[in-house]
Amino acid sequence: MDFQSRLERKGLNRREFLKAVAAATAALGLPAIYEPRIAEAVEKAAAKPPVIWLEGQDCTGCTESVLASFDPGPAEIVLDLLSVRYHETIMAASGTVAESWLEDNIKQGGYLLVVEGSIPTADDRFLTIGGRPFRQIVQEAAAKAGAIVAVGACACYGGIPAAGPTGAKGVQDVVKNKPVINLPGCPVKPTWVLGTVLQYLVFKKVPQLDSNKRPVAYFGTLLHDNCPRRGHFEQSQFLTDWNDPSQKEYCLLLKGCKGPKTYTDCAQSWWNDGVNFCINASSPCAGCTQPEFYAAGPLDHRAGFAPLYVRTDTMSLPGVGGVSPGTVGKVIAGAAVVGAGVHLIGNAATGRLKQEKEDKQDKPGKKPEKGRHN
Amino acid sequence: MAQKIVIDPITRIEGHLKVEVEIEGGKVTNAHASGTMARGLEVLLKGKDPRDATYVTERVCGVCAGSHGWVSSVAVENAQGAKLPQAARVLRNLILGAMWLHDHPLHFYHLSALDYLDVTAVAHYQGKDPKLLAVKDKIVKLVQSGDTSPLLPRYKPDEFSVNDPDLVTLAVSHYIKALEMQAKAKKMSAIFSGKQPHQSSIIAGGVTMLPDITQIEQFRTLLAEQADFVENIYWKDVATFGTGPLLPLARAGIGGGYGHYLTYGGFPLAGKGELFFPAGVIFDNQFGNVQPVDQAKITEAVKYSWYTPACGTKNPVQGDTVFDLNKPEAYSFIKAPRYDGKPMEVGPLARMLVLKPAPFMDIVTKYGIKPGAVARHAARAYETVLLAKAMPGWLDELEGYIKQGKTRIHDTEHWDPPATGAGIGMIEAPRGALGHWVEIANHKIANYQMVVPTTWNHSPRDENGQPGPLEQALIGVPVPDPENPNNIVRVVRSYDPCLACAIHIIQPESNRVLEFRIG
Repeated sequence: MDFQSRLERKGLNRREFLKAVAAATAALGLPAIYEPRIAEAVEKAAAKPPVIWLEGQDCTGCTESVLASFDPGPAEIVLDLLSVRYHETIMAASGTVAESWLEDNIKQGGYLLVVEGSIPTADDRFLTIGGRPFRQIVQEAAAKAGAIVAVGACACYGGIPAAGPTGAKGVQDVVKNKPVINLPGCPVKPTWVLGTVLQYLVFKKVPQLDSNKRPVAYFGTLLHDNCPRRGHFEQSQFLTDWNDPSQKEYCLLLKGCKGPKTYTDCAQSWWNDGVNFCINASSPCAGCTQPEFYAAGPLDHRAGFAPLYVRTDTMSLPGVGGVSPGTVGKVIAGAAVVGAGVHLIGNAATGRLKQEKEDKQDKPGKKPEKGRHN
Repeated sequence: MAQKIVIDPITRIEGHLKVEVEIEGGKVTNAHASGTMARGLEVLLKGKDPRDATYVTERVCGVCAGSHGWVSSVAVENAQGAKLPQAARVLRNLILGAMWLHDHPLHFYHLSALDYLDVTAVAHYQGKDPKLLAVKDKIVKLVQSGDTSPLLPRYKPDEFSVNDPDLVTLAVSHYIKALEMQAKAKKMSAIFSGKQPHQSSIIAGGVTMLPDITQIEQFRTLLAEQADFVENIYWKDVATFGTGPLLPLARAGIGGGYGHYLTYGGFPLAGKGELFFPAGVIFDNQFGNVQPVDQAKITEAVKYSWYTPACGTKNPVQGDTVFDLNKPEAYSFIKAPRYDGKPMEVGPLARMLVLKPAPFMDIVTKYGIKPGAVARHAARAYETVLLAKAMPGWLDELEGYIKQGKTRIHDTEHWDPPATGAGIGMIEAPRGALGHWVEIANHKIANYQMVVPTTWNHSPRDENGQPGPLEQALIGVPVPDPENPNNIVRVVRSYDPCLACAIHIIQPESNRVLEFRIG
């Protein structure tokens, strides 16, 4: 059977397919010139990648966030791009039908395992599904997975539950013998998930990761270095009263902003179809993509970012050891490039940043019209 | 001899829920609902800056995103003595209103509809509508390729499953349309709040962002599209199904339960104490007799929950609870809240029975619909229409404040936490009555507690052995085929359960009587 017939049997005509590829290429952070290559790789795969999505100690916010994706939209993700074999929030099956379906799919192996939510380690009874400890389900599913992606702060590093009494841990703490790709955030951003999933599909490689196992393409830049309010920081113009119109665009450091310690592309790629992000809403960054997000718990030695709305001593004022914009370039340039896909993404990310900075210089104070994919 | 069946996991809900039922003569004779996950968010709040509670509790749930952040800020404002500026009040209503427009259709199409639709009927669609033919094409090809996830597998359709090809194909096309609309509703909310889920604008004392005219117009355009969808597709579908193929389920009142309803009232309006959805209590289906809410009548029992028994049955401000995973009689992480000793249903049906809007009540009366699973869907859809119609007026109100120069969005004078204080926030989340209690000592959180909608609806038995509302609602539900217990999951999902919300642990030490204020 030729590819076109196989595609049509999957309910996708050529036009829809190319549209999905274009959207996927953009989600991957690659320029349009790579569309044919991605199309070719997807065509070769000729089957939607099977996905098993497990939810642990979660709030379903990361699922909700992925479903808030635009281009590709949620219907394309769920029905056209991926074969979502197990996802408790959207699947039709319940109870034993769901359990045996999960078992069958794990047996087949080779799927992409996505985990949302933390894993209780203080006592297995803090989370059971079908009477079995969630920890055990994750370990079994991980053993036969083609790749493992932890989405959201909880699945990566334990997140906010890590500060509680259940010994909440990330996937990397319970799955020791396999690489885990961490996509933190509270919630995760849809472009990070789609880009990573498609990259896995196309290149079959783990992307270049930083020391916290986050893809450099999305987490290689310091928020502070790309912050639209950075100019006000340099001029020591800090917001102290949300009611004062003259302070509307001021730096949020005194309101507790963790941007100087937080690696994310939020400033370059905004949320919800690019309409907004925390700092643009005058809300201080809470550092949700960092392992030290919020607070350490009894089973954790990390310092944590609490309190959120108070300037913490570790956040330096300008001229007192603030992080320079050069950090961005160094983080990316310093990353050892593994594999073509990684290389492309690295270049694309650097290019994006450069473009962003030039735009900013051209139009001082003007926010990007569309935050996403630029 | 009763046959016992266990459904774990109950999918297409938020969080982790197990339901155990006993069946005799084809009907449920006994039911136990168990929340099977705990995080302990209140415990980690102890000793933290009170203002952090808004951010942390926002993360209790990523589906009703915004609701916990909203009620938490009301509780902290109450404790700090802060006064919410009018523009901030309206902005919160709009941020949250957008999320209700997201939540309710999502619940109907993506979490519930697959219980009622035989999706395979799409293959028999014979009509000529090009959009519906495209849906048919898509589904047929999924089936042919042998990769039907996530629509199959499923329980086998039963006598109540809708298999009319025209109806099912239209509903599946709306399932796909609704996926797009829920993403747009989150986008709409994010315009005023930073991002969704987990908005960042709502903070103790107000909001961080006053939108400009461009943003208001962007919001207005998206709102018009949502309102059109909610009224002409969502409500229409629910009404068509409820008064058509699902009428036998609706008339039989499958999943009705006790008939006790509670709503704290939601969406505060400009007038003092005025609420868009009024507060009220109804007992024993006496809809004409709506009583005022008295928070002192709320108690929580833990006899069948995995917490130490020392606390007894107390008001949330006095409770004292820690995990006890070895308690032999316990079967849930959910506590058992009661109002005046009674298990109460909260949520859209409670709100609509207290408000009694004429078009909704007319349909209920005309078709003889009894409280139950179908009535819950209808109430949820109808209140979405009410909200979608009211929100443009709220946008006008916001613009009015801006034009008059009333641009205060935050009570900055009361931003710093007081040495001591206590506060309550009680509002309506999409799933029902939501309350947060906070106590401050030494400028830090001394105690934090939440009693949330699913805690009410899906609570276990209390100290008197009274089953929770869902457990009661399951009694008598017909289950002709125990391998395919469609009616059970229909009833469970009709409450729109949110287990992440429901489960939390509480460690309070206070007998203080608190000032009660509805935000």
